[in-house]
Amino acid sequence: MSGLDTIPPVLLARLGKADPRALDGYVADGGYASWKKVLAGAKTGEWTPAKLTDMVKASGLRGRGGAGFPCGLKWTFVPAKDKRGDKPVYLLCNADESEPGTFKDRLLIEQDPHQILEGMMLASFALEVKHAYVYIRGEMVHGAEILNAAVAEAHAKGFLGTDILGSGVDLTITIHRGAGAYICGEETALIESLEGKRGHPRIKPPFPAVSGVWGSPTVVNNVETLCCVKHIVDRGADWFKGVGRNEKNTGPKLYAVSGHVEKPGVYEAPIGIPWEQLLAMAGGVRGGRKLKAVIPGGSSAPILTAAEIAGIPMDFDGIAAAKSMFGSAAIIVMDETTDIPKAVTNIAKFYAHESCGQCTPCREGTPWLLKMLRRIVNGEGKKTDLDLLLQISNQMGNGMTICVFADAAIAPVISGITKFRGEFEAYIEKSKNKTFDQEAPGDLTNAIANRQAAGIHS
Amino acid sequence: MAKVTVDGREVEVPASANALEACRAAGVDVPHFCYHPALSIVGQCRMCMVEVEGVPKIQASCTVPVRDGMVIKANTEKALAARNATMEFLLINHPLDCPICDQAGECKLQDNAVAGGLPVSRTSEPRRQFPGYDRTEIGPHVIADMTRCIQCTRCIRFCEEIAETSELTFIERGGHTIVWTHEGKPLDNDLSACAADVCPVGALTTKEFRFRKRVWWLDKTRSICDGCEIGCSLSIEHRDGVVYRYTPRVQPAVNDYWLCDYGRFRAEDLNARDFTRPEIRVAGGAAQRRQTNWGEALDAVKVAIEKAKEASAAGASGAGRGISSNVLVIGSANLTTEEAWLLATLCKDSLKVNAPEFAVDEGPRRRIRNKKDGWLYGTEAAPNSRGCEAAGLSRAKEGGASPLSLLLSKKSSSFPSVSVLYVADAHFSEKCDDPAFVAELRKASVLIVHARKRNALTDAADIVLPVASLAGVEGTFVNAKGRVQRVDLAILAPPIVRTNLEIFLHLGARYGACDTQWTARDVFDRMKASVPGYAGLDWDADAVVGNPPSISPAAAYDALGLNKDADVEVFTRPSVAAPDRKP
Amino acid sequence: MSGGANVPVAEQAGNPRAGEHGALSCGKPLSFSRETRAELDRLLTRYPTKQAALLPALWLAQREWGWISREAVDHVASLLDLSSAFVWGVVTFYTMYNRAPVGKHLIQVCTSISCHLNGAEEVFHECKKRLGGLETGETSKDGKYTVIEVECLAQCDKAPAVMVNDDDYAVITKDNLDAFLKGLG
Repeated sequence: MSGLDTIPPVLLARLGKADPRALDGYVADGGYASWKKVLAGAKTGEWTPAKLTDMVKASGLRGRGGAGFPCGLKWTFVPAKDKRGDKPVYLLCNADESEPGTFKDRLLIEQDPHQILEGMMLASFALEVKHAYVYIRGEMVHGAEILNAAVAEAHAKGFLGTDILGSGVDLTITIHRGAGAYICGEETALIESLEGKRGHPRIKPPFPAVSGVWGSPTVVNNVETLCCVKHIVDRGADWFKGVGRNEKNTGPKLYAVSGHVEKPGVYEAPIGIPWEQLLAMAGGVRGGRKLKAVIPGGSSAPILTAAEIAGIPMDFDGIAAAKSMFGSAAIIVMDETTDIPKAVTNIAKFYAHESCGQCTPCREGTPWLLKMLRRIVNGEGKKTDLDLLLQISNQMGNGMTICVFADAAIAPVISGITKFRGEFEAYIEKSKNKTFDQEAPGDLTNAIANRQAAGIHS
Repeated sequence: MAKVTVDGREVEVPASANALEACRAAGVDVPHFCYHPALSIVGQCRMCMVEVEGVPKIQASCTVPVRDGMVIKANTEKALAARNATMEFLLINHPLDCPICDQAGECKLQDNAVAGGLPVSRTSEPRRQFPGYDRTEIGPHVIADMTRCIQCTRCIRFCEEIAETSELTFIERGGHTIVWTHEGKPLDNDLSACAADVCPVGALTTKEFRFRKRVWWLDKTRSICDGCEIGCSLSIEHRDGVVYRYTPRVQPAVNDYWLCDYGRFRAEDLNARDFTRPEIRVAGGAAQRRQTNWGEALDAVKVAIEKAKEASAAGASGAGRGISSNVLVIGSANLTTEEAWLLATLCKDSLKVNAPEFAVDEGPRRRIRNKKDGWLYGTEAAPNSRGCEAAGLSRAKEGGASPLSLLLSKKSSSFPSVSVLYVADAHFSEKCDDPAFVAELRKASVLIVHARKRNALTDAADIVLPVASLAGVEGTFVNAKGRVQRVDLAILAPPIVRTNLEIFLHLGARYGACDTQWTARDVFDRMKASVPGYAGLDWDADAVVGNPPSISPAAAYDALGLNKDADVEVFTRPSVAAPDRKP
Repeated sequence: MSGGANVPVAEQAGNPRAGEHGALSCGKPLSFSRETRAELDRLLTRYPTKQAALLPALWLAQREWGWISREAVDHVASLLDLSSAFVWGVVTFYTMYNRAPVGKHLIQVCTSISCHLNGAEEVFHECKKRLGGLETGETSKDGKYTVIEVECLAQCDKAPAVMVNDDDYAVITKDNLDAFLKGLG
């Protein structure tokens, strides 16, 4: 038996049920059994927060939001009770799904909200949280309504509130809607936004686990991650570990496939299935065309060529080995008709629009990249542009900014130009603006050296 | 404390410091924009990039807390490349308008570009503009130009954290981000012009100073604000005898980096002058005064005083104890302590009249903030009531029994009809413009005043002795906290104008009481033993001059970059020596 | 002696910036209805600070008045003990708070990568054209339509995706665009 064998849907098991959002149906399908089990065990001492955390650690669950950080380990960063004083711990469910190409969390929210709530309940138990928040992106108006209704129903049925089911455990969940800002998916920006501010990512340290929302220890987990927690408690850490390619990439995974495929959609499969298998699930490349490139983890992942992605296991380490990023498992497929310079320009437009504007390199760099790329695809490129684009990109990332947004913004530009340079050059060849060729090259090395030699540079 | 090595130099800094502060303590200059010692850390300009040993990624030094044994490399190739990158990003949209920008010469962007910027521009894209957001008054004193803004948020943090009024905010996001007020809520608070002070570029400038003088032409002289008794340290910035502006001078114990708008914009008043020569009304009651020389004027003062004393001695039975109440002297809390002491001493030992009185207006409440004490409040409209009292002037109070007290208590016609009333100076109270108040003082046969500007009292006076403004005096003030703080001579008053001190010296010399060559420092040294609060002080002591504590890197550190920060000019050059002038 | 007098300083009133980055006035002071106020009070119990209720409070304001005016900002700021400038800073950071009245149907066309690969830009431009040549963000004369371009709506499997007010619409192409617009009414 292999961890990659096809399994019946777990996260999407209740898809297609009549009224999948109703609590009764959820309970009838075995929902809230784990929550009841843990609450009952809490009284007898059979279930403790530490036990639940250990279980999640043992499962090998890695965060499904993008970074792939081990979930159980993240939980252990919260200071112990005696160290955090009387500060409460907060759990924030990150439902600010905004990465272009990603739409898996929306499906879970709209189709099975109680699954998310149960995951949050269990995580809250493990973290001794009394008030948890769902930060849902502003555009998901109906998603927020669905979650609010689910919370109200869970309250009414006694799964939330004070002294839940006589266990002595208290828990409230509040649904908080954003208002349109991609950056609020970054956990510290999310925290700032929840506090009622502009969503500017914070300087780390301190990390949220120590000082997050309202200065309290805070854990931010993705929607799908929390759903996985529920299934881990349902079925055990060993089961979870048994699914997936290897022990570093475990569990069932939702793949959001979009772009040029026959059947775009969310597909559940053991994490680490080969690329070809996933593409087949999505019906293959649209219209029988040839595959050109794939963005394997949302728009911030470097583009992979058809050759590069062939045979790659679709998980964190498999894609990292191909020098891209698994991210949120948003797979954007591009067929042979795709105009890569235009696609890269489109992604650059997204990042220029969404930069929060606090760090200089990102605030100034993202619009600069966009202006240059737009010029190129509008037929006004010049020969030095491509090298300059790469140089600018390289001086935006790698610690130059507070958060990794800039790194995300440059990945498609660097990979696009490096891997499909010919297409960019073709645009420049046809450039209307011949005079641009005459300008000095973008390389500053000599200019700086000359200046230093002249004693001008201090 | 933590031991940190910066570019091979070991330095000890408090454990709460960050890597940028450690670099500064070690004397390694790391350029920065958003960092300001008095504001919270945001780490967003990304200018202060350095390498920290053991940390793979480049770090914004202001965001890195120090730890013992940390090794910082501020000038590696990687660090310089990172800082060059940030400079390039800042400059791609910054207008190349230094020649017409009022910040030029004190612009951090300009300084950093000259010190280590890139020699060429690689961008050919159109520069960002913010039509409608340039050259706009966003408050009574501040003009904003967003095309020049580098989004460092110092001004926003200033309004939130120091002024506590939050009028400024980031609007929009990404490359469109600007700093602005909310419509209908201008930048108008007690300290609003400090927002322009903290602005490292020409995005916020003060309306009053804009385009008046290139800053590199300005001389700066240490002084103390005379707007109230808080006594904020400031520098008078002047050129060719004209005062152009005040800027705050760092003083952690009083005003930190700040200056209130009320105090700051008193600077312009120093240029106002109505009296340039002594004036005297000829005996016999001509309607007009005529201009005269100091010899005649001071001789006339002495003659009037002596005549009055003789008259009272002759008229009063049993007189002869030597103290005449026929001569009344009113001082002022605008006097330096040296001037007040000299006046009090002359009255007691030479003129042999009652000790001078003085009164202070209770002005509107002024306030300033520092890190340690929070808000400091001032209510008096003069800087030195404490020094004057210590020097022997007696403070008139409503409800008191002294002549000035009775007058202040609005007991009309209570003021005595003395022969000589000597007022130094005529600006001691706003009431000196009140006809009823002046009429009481005018009951004296001879009215002598020190003055710079005209008011109802000077109009009524028989002898007007022209005096220098704050910019033209040397001496010390005692502030509300009892700190003795020195005022330096910024610009010489016009040729025939004297300081109060010089006038007292020359009057005293006519009694053989003092030498006209004495400087404020000489008086300071003579009086310090007898004036409370001055014992043991030295004219050049750092505390008196207002220098932050001098430096061993660790000790200086408590003032956290205060003495090293170029955000506000700190003085190292000696004070301008008073030129030798004889009345 | 002030040199400032030589500078052509824009007048505060009538400055063209109002409405571009600044808050437009609705012409009268605003305050929440009793019901909305009660809803805000309920919301405030969900957070340890008043400030945290800012985004929800702005949503309530938008629901009540359709857009966020200068006066709405002032009202929300006073309710939450914040400065108006701070609130406006927050409003302008997020894209979903309307800073001017919008049409009955706010048509939000996604043009991010997955939709782009499926021809979203064309749909966006066609949409504006077919509604009488509207500019981006302009409201049609009958007050019915406003068309804007938005970033990823997390409906990449239904590209090109469109959101109208709060409702999601899947696979809007050049071909079914007319039917879609007609369906809005």
